[in-house]
Amino acid sequence: MAEKIKDADDRLLESIFETSPIPDAGFSAAVVRRVRRQLWLRRLAVPVAALIGGGIAVKPLAGFVSIVASLSPMIPPQLIDTATSMIPQLPTVVLGGMVLAVCLIGIRSLED
Amino acid sequence: MSSGDDHRLVARVVSSQDTAAFGELVRRHQSQVRNFLRKLAGDVSAADDLSQDCFLHAWNKMHTYSGRGSFIGWLLKIAYTTFLQSRRKSKRYAEIIEEVGHKMQTDSQTCTLPADEVTDLDKLLAVLDDEERAIMIMSYACGLSHREIGDATSMPVGTVKSIIFRGKQKIRASFDIKDHKHG
Repeated sequence: MAEKIKDADDRLLESIFETSPIPDAGFSAAVVRRVRRQLWLRRLAVPVAALIGGGIAVKPLAGFVSIVASLSPMIPPQLIDTATSMIPQLPTVVLGGMVLAVCLIGIRSLED
Repeated sequence: MSSGDDHRLVARVVSSQDTAAFGELVRRHQSQVRNFLRKLAGDVSAADDLSQDCFLHAWNKMHTYSGRGSFIGWLLKIAYTTFLQSRRKSKRYAEIIEEVGHKMQTDSQTCTLPADEVTDLDKLLAVLDDEERAIMIMSYACGLSHREIGDATSMPVGTVKSIIFRGKQKIRASFDIKDHKHG
């Protein structure tokens, strides 16, 4: 406060406003936890969105490939078979979801 | 705690998103930020929630800290903005509730301390408006210079000085500030 010229009122007000320091008591740890959570959410947002989007798009995409293939004799029939066999079945989707959930919980507990 | 150390920690946060360095910055400044917001909001738990939000905003905006002023001045600017935003939100919420016909307390941020816990400082702050209160706290409790307060509140130094003068006049007009309980 070098630029201030303190009068008696200023000194008195400073003593009235004076308070003892607040102990941290886990405050900074809580803030850092929130920051790390935000970081992880940001890092995971794109891959998770890509995974969900891919999951939704794979079936119509395979259908599209078969339609295009039927229209064009230049695409070999093996490719069509591969595209159709790549569509994940329900147990695979459920298993994938479970693995993802376990990973998220694991990351969260490591972070805490 | 030197400003050079603060600058080094800020550099680590900006360059490599170092949460440990940020944790150290929080540990160094949490007391001042929480004290500022407790005095401003008059409610300990609301002020601590606002302090957490303030530090989260600081994390997201760390790259905007130029290093020109003090780090605590920059933090208090964010704290003040966070306080004003939350006050606007709670006022708007109260208006919406009233619009749909319910009665509620107009402001959840106001001081709700029991009468025996009200210190002279609380009484003294009650005669000031939000802006005067924030500036007086920055000046007398946090020890910021007029220039730093100007940076924190986006006001010219002359305006800061006149608000402090006005605040002191209001306090003088309302109280005899010779005997007091510490706040």
